[in-house]
Amino acid sequence: MSTKIPIGPFHIGLEEPIYFKIDLEGETVKNVDMINGFVHRGIEYLAMQKNFFQNLILTERVCSLCSNNHPFTYVMAVEKIAGIEVSRRANYLRVVADEVKRIASHMFNLSMLAHLIGFHSLMTQTMEAREIMQDIKESIWGNRMDMSANTISGVKYDLDEGQIEYILKRLDELEPQVDEIIDIYFNHKIVKARTVGVGVLPKEDALRLGVTGPTARGSGVNNDVRVKAPYAAYDELKVNVILEEGGDVHARTKVRWREVKESIRLVREAITNLPEGPVVLDKRPHIPAGEAVTRSEAPRGELIYYLKTNGAQKPERMRWRVPTYMNWEALRVMIPGNKLSDVAVIFNSIDPCISCTER
Amino acid sequence: MKETLKQKIIAELKNRITGDFDLRDEKDAKGNIQIWLKLFNRKDILHVAQVIKDFGGRCVIISAYKKDDHHVLVYHLDIDGILINVEVELFDNTVDSITPILDSANWTEREFKEMFGIKLVGHPNPKRLFLDESIAEGILGEYMPLSQAMNGAATCCMWEKIESERHKNEH
Repeated sequence: MSTKIPIGPFHIGLEEPIYFKIDLEGETVKNVDMINGFVHRGIEYLAMQKNFFQNLILTERVCSLCSNNHPFTYVMAVEKIAGIEVSRRANYLRVVADEVKRIASHMFNLSMLAHLIGFHSLMTQTMEAREIMQDIKESIWGNRMDMSANTISGVKYDLDEGQIEYILKRLDELEPQVDEIIDIYFNHKIVKARTVGVGVLPKEDALRLGVTGPTARGSGVNNDVRVKAPYAAYDELKVNVILEEGGDVHARTKVRWREVKESIRLVREAITNLPEGPVVLDKRPHIPAGEAVTRSEAPRGELIYYLKTNGAQKPERMRWRVPTYMNWEALRVMIPGNKLSDVAVIFNSIDPCISCTER
Repeated sequence: MKETLKQKIIAELKNRITGDFDLRDEKDAKGNIQIWLKLFNRKDILHVAQVIKDFGGRCVIISAYKKDDHHVLVYHLDIDGILINVEVELFDNTVDSITPILDSANWTEREFKEMFGIKLVGHPNPKRLFLDESIAEGILGEYMPLSQAMNGAATCCMWEKIESERHKNEH
């Protein structure tokens, strides 16, 4: 006999505002239907009522965990239309802000995995290690989430010797803790029992559905924007793309942890080789008529902005697509065939961002 | 290497497109290539989608906007890091779905159908994506209270709706 059960914001299994209609046979999920739209806010329309500088603030607030990537990708589009060349120093500083966000974002998602499999000591340990990144954000940018690092033609912050030393010291503190935690996530029998072979996304489905970020890389698909279409200083700071072949929750977990390590390396490299120069242009630029498309690699995957301008102070059209938007449909492949108790774990493994997706 | 791939893509596009078109390509300081294509016969988007599929590419997103009295779609398609932007003007407010060719276009087509009221031909699952059924299509651009725009308005309303649906199924 089949049973239908709803999982959503009113159900203990899931905190996110999304509604899953699940058909069960025994304990196994046969079919899943997803209904979204609970938090649609019409931000895309709002963006066309604001001028180019106001939109810096607005895009930063689309979502908190990718909050650096939104204004980052947006300013790149504005700069492309206006023909502005950003200084090398500003480009390096953009990378620093972005990689700091990636470490903190990945570690948050990974601690959520520990929470969902009921391994609470591991969750606390991960969150405590992540606090180091939060401290860095608060000390350098003044905020724990919205860093407001980017502006049109450069960045709003600079790093002096003391700040660089502070970041390096804190990263030295973080790395051994990360190594210790990684070992548990990779090898502990509780974690493996709940993640290995769970929520499998085969490579061909990953390609067919156009998934991005760690979800794609966990299935062996490399579409990391930092390498495929480099921007800012990523062409100079060569990124090593992390790929896993398993396609299951475990593979995605491994991708994120290995990326945390890679991001630590990138931050170190960027701040120790910081080029000299201005961080922002003196003059406020005029934004002429034109159109541009820019992309960046957010913690969850590729983020793309399309901007069309007509010479006025506000965009004529601004459209963006976040990684979760593409990874969503992959859940229809990942969830069926698994146990009901695994649904929340699988859902978490795409690192869902609903406020981004629905805008 | 990217340059060779670009040449191949352009040759294949020129070969398959039946109507008139404008084509240009650009390269930024980092060597990233973008191709801009404007189609004058909207049916050609199916041929373009097939080229993308043959090269193992994907649909990244489709941007819709209103220009004077008609809609414009800009398809953003990717082949191994090369971005192909395809502009199509819709004078009859109708477009053929490319989802049967590129699965990755599924959501974005449903979204422009919902937000701009563009008619979609041949989509395998043209259901609403974000907004409640009670709201008319083509809503983007009209003022609407947040509580009404959101599917559930409040958790309790959503819960009541699901419960009533569930009971309907049981009877």
